[in-house]
Amino acid sequence: MGKLPDKRLVRCPRCETPLEVSRNAKSTLCPGCHQNVRTEDDAVDTYCARREFFTEGEVTVGKKGVLIAEVRVVRLVVQGEVKGTVQARESVVVAKTGRVYGDIRTPVLSVEAGAQVTGRCEFGPGLAQLRAPEPAVDAGVSAA
Amino acid sequence: MAEAPKPDSTTILASDCSFKGEMSFEGSMRIDGRFEGKIGSKGRLAVGKGAHLTADVTVGQANIDGNLKGNIVAAERVELTSSAVVAADLRAPKLVVAEGATFVGNVHVGPDALKGAEKSEFVVPMAATPIKK
Repeated sequence: MGKLPDKRLVRCPRCETPLEVSRNAKSTLCPGCHQNVRTEDDAVDTYCARREFFTEGEVTVGKKGVLIAEVRVVRLVVQGEVKGTVQARESVVVAKTGRVYGDIRTPVLSVEAGAQVTGRCEFGPGLAQLRAPEPAVDAGVSAA
Repeated sequence: MAEAPKPDSTTILASDCSFKGEMSFEGSMRIDGRFEGKIGSKGRLAVGKGAHLTADVTVGQANIDGNLKGNIVAAERVELTSSAVVAADLRAPKLVVAEGATFVGNVHVGPDALKGAEKSEFVVPMAATPIKK
């Protein structure tokens, strides 16, 4: 069986400095901004209100969990409630019981039917395409 | 006398069509071409992969596979498939997003999503009105 590499590459959620850390590391110190960087996965199953919730791992907010914070993670799974701006480096999954009140920025968003989402969302691989100018409909073919 | 369309009939705006104006329909509609204006219906709207819409859409259900700019208000649900590229303000009780879909805009999704629609900047849902003869 293949052995997993001992190191993994993460980024500081504050200054984006790339950091190489041990696969089992739970935190490290960013040489760019001299702040502590959490690198472990986490689960929120109770009420949790903080100024910021940053970790370079996967965070799961359980059905009974309430997370009130600015969230910057790699992957976020919401089965409970999140209030605050969410930035995920890989994906955000809002389960059918999940509620997100805040802006979401992520490459991949998955919303199950029944979930509640309120806020500005930016997601997907075609964001550059949206900023390109759109060719107008030819007025000569108007049917109004 | 023209026969009234069946409620389950599908109107298709093909890929070589462009339409500018207001449109309403009953049943379901599929757009594969270009559309600019307003769409109002209680039915189901499907936006094909190559379609380009710049529109205020107020429908029962919307299934988006192509490009859309504007506002979307759906009474039941909105589905964004993997090839959807949407820049819009969206309001619907249910939203289903497939991996690969692109979206930029304000989102109000949930059972109470349509309650504040009249007071907000979103389009007031309009009923499908028959075309005057």
